Amino acid sequence: MTRLSPAAEERAFDGLFRECASDVHAYAISLLGDRASAEDVTALAFERLYRARARLDERRGTPRAWLFAIARNAALDELRRRRRRPHYELDDQGSDALDGNAARDAGGPEDALERVERRETLRAALAALPLRERELVLLKFHGQLSNAELARAMGISESNAGTRLHRALTRLRDCCADLDHQEVA
Amino acid sequence: MRIIAFPGGEESSPSEETWLAELDAALSDQAGGPAADSWRELRADVRSLAPPVSPEFMQSLERELAHPSVDPVRPARRFPWLRARRSSPGVAGAPRVLGAQRAIGRLRVLARPQLAGVVALVAALAVAVAVVGVGGTGAPGRSASVEPVAAGPSHSAPSVAGSQAAPSKGVTEPNRVDDLGPAAGPYSSSAGAASAAAAAAGRVQQLAASVSLSASPGNVQAVSDGVSQLAVRDEGFVESSHVQVQQHGSSEATLTLRLPSARLSAALAAIGRLAPVSSESQSLQDITNTYDAARRRLADATAEHQALLRALAKATTEGQIDSLRERLSQADGAVGQDQSYLNAVSRRASTAEVEVTVLGSAQASSEGLTFHRGLHDAGRVLTVAAIVLLIAAAVLVPLALVIAALACALRAWRRYSRERALRV
Repeated sequence: MTRLSPAAEERAFDGLFRECASDVHAYAISLLGDRASAEDVTALAFERLYRARARLDERRGTPRAWLFAIARNAALDELRRRRRRPHYELDDQGSDALDGNAARDAGGPEDALERVERRETLRAALAALPLRERELVLLKFHGQLSNAELARAMGISESNAGTRLHRALTRLRDCCADLDHQEVA
Repeated sequence: MRIIAFPGGEESSPSEETWLAELDAALSDQAGGPAADSWRELRADVRSLAPPVSPEFMQSLERELAHPSVDPVRPARRFPWLRARRSSPGVAGAPRVLGAQRAIGRLRVLARPQLAGVVALVAALAVAVAVVGVGGTGAPGRSASVEPVAAGPSHSAPSVAGSQAAPSKGVTEPNRVDDLGPAAGPYSSSAGAASAAAAAAGRVQQLAASVSLSASPGNVQAVSDGVSQLAVRDEGFVESSHVQVQQHGSSEATLTLRLPSARLSAALAAIGRLAPVSSESQSLQDITNTYDAARRRLADATAEHQALLRALAKATTEGQIDSLRERLSQADGAVGQDQSYLNAVSRRASTAEVEVTVLGSAQASSEGLTFHRGLHDAGRVLTVAAIVLLIAAAVLVPLALVIAALACALRAWRRYSRERALRV
């Protein structure tokens, strides 16, 4: 989104919106646990990106990375305003959607059941993660950002971002393993 | 079966860099194999945990994109509905905060970097211009010297060879500074002598000035004539003049003018318009004591003359009458002499001596002179501009450093505050 004609800029922005709106929303709702806040953050991220589109430098990151960096700032601002721990428990609609997502994936009923169970375990493991690590995992998988883009969004070095991501995923894995063992026991 | 296919969960972990590289390669679909599939499956699982975005929200967003209410000046209004959404319960930014947000939004206009830069630049330039204006000097080559030398009670005749001055029997009162009134106006605008004159109210002062003009050799005579005409026009006269014009080489003219003191500044300005001024100086001499002494001497002589006349009227003998007449004759001479001296002193105070030198050189041809003046003026403009820029930089650089430091601190604080929100 650097120095395009206004029409091309509009098209690029529209394309980015269609590609990323649901991901930004998913990241925000996963982090904030609140649909209204997530929608606010999503809209705010696009608004800020639109206002800053003339200053975006693609050499310093893709528009998607910029968008998620903005969304992260907006989400953290929202967390800061609320001054309370965001709940990660999905409401009934979220659980239903989880079941629906698993059922729609390819495979038979047994596969779908396994996916539901696995995702329930994963959801519980994510909820058990410290907020900082959970936010990193969400940003990585919802934003689909590279480590360099993650580092830029978080304002830290790339190696530091890699270390944090490694630690977060390792802890997530351990949490999942613990939950599996508990279920088996 | 609830075993999660988690990469690196079973085998020994590779190095962190390799692990991260494999993760990035798998997530960007650039790698294959079970490990990469596991990463992608984990990503899909994490992404599937989030509830889907509501269709109403997406529709409202799409509507806004399809029919953007874009204000080219304020693109922030692209999503005006956002403000309304923020007023929804449970969301930060309550309705009562919206007014304050709008006010802050207006103030944020001032926080735009471009606008802030322009404001700072204008302020710095204003300061620089003010500093230059206060500390600025006059034109180069101009000087004003004040010589507050109180003339002693010298009885020697002043060196005024003003033979053209009409010999007046009456005593002409000189223009004391406090008597000049509006006529002293022009002095108050010139530096040095004028300010000293203004400060010395009630004093009798003698002004003098010298001006050097540059002209082409063929133009020396014309400039000299112009100077003479100016002197006559300003109710003055040419006391002496000497013009030397050579066919080859330099020409020169020297004129000594006597001008009314009250018109000195205007006359100097008019002379400066005849040709470029290469140098100019003004001087001031306080002659109050000389004037007062001359007036006292005249008063004494007049009183003695009156006393002799009275004594003559009372004389009864031929001897007394002859003696008094002889003394009266001497007293007449003294009164005339003292009156002439007082008139001369008054003339020194009421007129200013201006010495004008016109130097003609081949380099100062008419066109060259204009070019030279242009160069001189351009150089002066550039010098002043450089000074203004230097002062502006002296104001702007520390200001920019302070603003940059504040911006860095604010940014760091905001980042710290955001990250602190994750420390729960």
